[in-house]
Amino acid sequence: MTLLTLRDVTRDFHLRGGVLGRRRTLRALDGIDLVLHPGETLALVGESGCGKSTLGRIVAGLLPATSGELLVEGKPALKGKARARQIQVVFQDPFGSLNPRMSVGDLIAEPALLHGLVERRDVGRRVAETLTLVGLRPALAERYPHELSGGQRQRVAIARALAAEPRLIVCDEAVSALDVSVQAQIANLLQDIQRRTGVSLLFISHGLSLVRHISHRVAVMYLGRIVEEGPTEQVFDHPRHPYTRALISATPEPLPGTTGPGAALSGEVPSPLALPSGCAFRTRCPHATAQCAASVPPLSGPEHAVACWHTDTLPPHAGRHTEPTPRMAAALDLYRRAAARRQDLTEETLT
Amino acid sequence: MTDATYTGSGSRTWRRLRRNPMVTIALGVLILIALAAIFAPWLTSFDPYETALRQRLKPPSAEHLLGTDSQGRDLLTRLLYGARTTLLIGCAGTAFGALLGGAIGLCAAFYRRLDGVFMRVIDVFLSFPSILFGLSLAAILGPGLDSLIIAVGLSVMPGIARISRGAALSVMAQDYMDSGRSIGLPDRSLLGRYLLANAYPPILTYTTLAFGDAVLLAATLGFLGLGLQPPTAELGSIAAEGRSFLFIAPHVSTAASILIFVIVLSFNLLGDALRDAGDRRAS
Repeated sequence: MTLLTLRDVTRDFHLRGGVLGRRRTLRALDGIDLVLHPGETLALVGESGCGKSTLGRIVAGLLPATSGELLVEGKPALKGKARARQIQVVFQDPFGSLNPRMSVGDLIAEPALLHGLVERRDVGRRVAETLTLVGLRPALAERYPHELSGGQRQRVAIARALAAEPRLIVCDEAVSALDVSVQAQIANLLQDIQRRTGVSLLFISHGLSLVRHISHRVAVMYLGRIVEEGPTEQVFDHPRHPYTRALISATPEPLPGTTGPGAALSGEVPSPLALPSGCAFRTRCPHATAQCAASVPPLSGPEHAVACWHTDTLPPHAGRHTEPTPRMAAALDLYRRAAARRQDLTEETLT
Repeated sequence: MTDATYTGSGSRTWRRLRRNPMVTIALGVLILIALAAIFAPWLTSFDPYETALRQRLKPPSAEHLLGTDSQGRDLLTRLLYGARTTLLIGCAGTAFGALLGGAIGLCAAFYRRLDGVFMRVIDVFLSFPSILFGLSLAAILGPGLDSLIIAVGLSVMPGIARISRGAALSVMAQDYMDSGRSIGLPDRSLLGRYLLANAYPPILTYTTLAFGDAVLLAATLGFLGLGLQPPTAELGSIAAEGRSFLFIAPHVSTAASILIFVIVLSFNLLGDALRDAGDRRAS
């Protein structure tokens, strides 16, 4: 049973230039099909403006889709409070996403109380447990968001999302605003939490190095469409869409001298108000032909799906690993050891 | 687990306020006048309504500290009771206007579909000078304390609605509003615990400034005879009564006018200081 199914989801924004301006339609999402399984992490990657955050907001119920179907556990997605019980969000900016008038304890207690997951007299203990789960001291419950660091705040935001005991957490660029070393910590924390609670993650990101580390499957978006989707290892080691290849080549190389002949992206992203005909990527694609301009390539393939007319004729990919940078690798390692220690501690206290 | 360690913008504003001597003076004067008005019956042995025609228009003396008015009533007593009425109309009117205006402003920002309609109506209200507006309302609603409060409240409401909408709009753009919604909170929690809790400082500042306007409007309505009917003591109507005898007994109008002036000035000083203290750019 899939946890989340999107069928042909489309979202239009209506723009108007000035009082008498022409009404124009911006298609932010165009026919998105996507599935997410329980306990899985699906990464959604692409440049800014490709619609990945719009998709995240639609999944979270913060924005309605213009058309298409959204199923949660096979049934049409619920609305409002019932949806919030199933799907939670962690936002990009931990400095803006926590209500400054509420203490950390109140912030975490709020969803648990709202959804009736805890008795009012037990709420203090629940807050302490949740804080421990995200690696914060329970004493922080008394503090206010402005007293915390960015990493601590993002942990609080994650704790708040967890407090609703959701099936899925949408992480909308949840680590992008943080320091590189803190990014790794938060990414590890999310993995750690997934192992313990079985929650699914929709990990929206514009950077690739963490995605490879954290996700089971990857969907690459370009101008409102998914152009490639498949298991993380396959997408990273054998990318089949020219755009995915360019994205991977554009990721900074950790060690000098190992850079292969990457196909760098040339040109600008076309305006989403004036999309090119056919394949939206053809204006920047080195392999584009007349067929690309004529019609939109469908996303096809059994497990590792690609939306490109020339999948079979493209040269093989240069094949490059995108390992975490040395600084991040060190941070990941440190974190792993800390997490292991914490696990030992919790097991000790339990037995 | 709330206030103990909180040293946010609120306490910084408060520290700045206390450093400002103007605040101490203005607040002191207002508290003094308010206390005097509330405890008027215990502060004076004279009756504010009993006339003594033999004693009319006496200048200040040891017996009557501010002299007497055209009916021979002790002027100080009349002013104390008058301040009671005027402050009551001003405060209740401002409270009414702030509640209504605040609610309209917050709702306009929160429910964007209502925004257009609400703000056009507010524009219409704002396009009348508030004196004219208060006058027509007082005339339409007829005499009486509650209709005066409504007239004053509706006159200060549009400005407060405007400020509230602006403050609320900037809060609406913050991620934590989405965060609250994504938790599944109902609108009323979002409006209160999220929107109002973060948007209130500028609304409060503006409301303090509006107090001055409201008191002035209340006194103006009284002066023009649209306030409470005689013999009710009210600062504006006391000033108006004294006007007929301005050359024989200038103390009547003068004392009433000075009291109005001091009250309005104090509210304005307080509001200005609040605004400066809340301004993060000022150091």
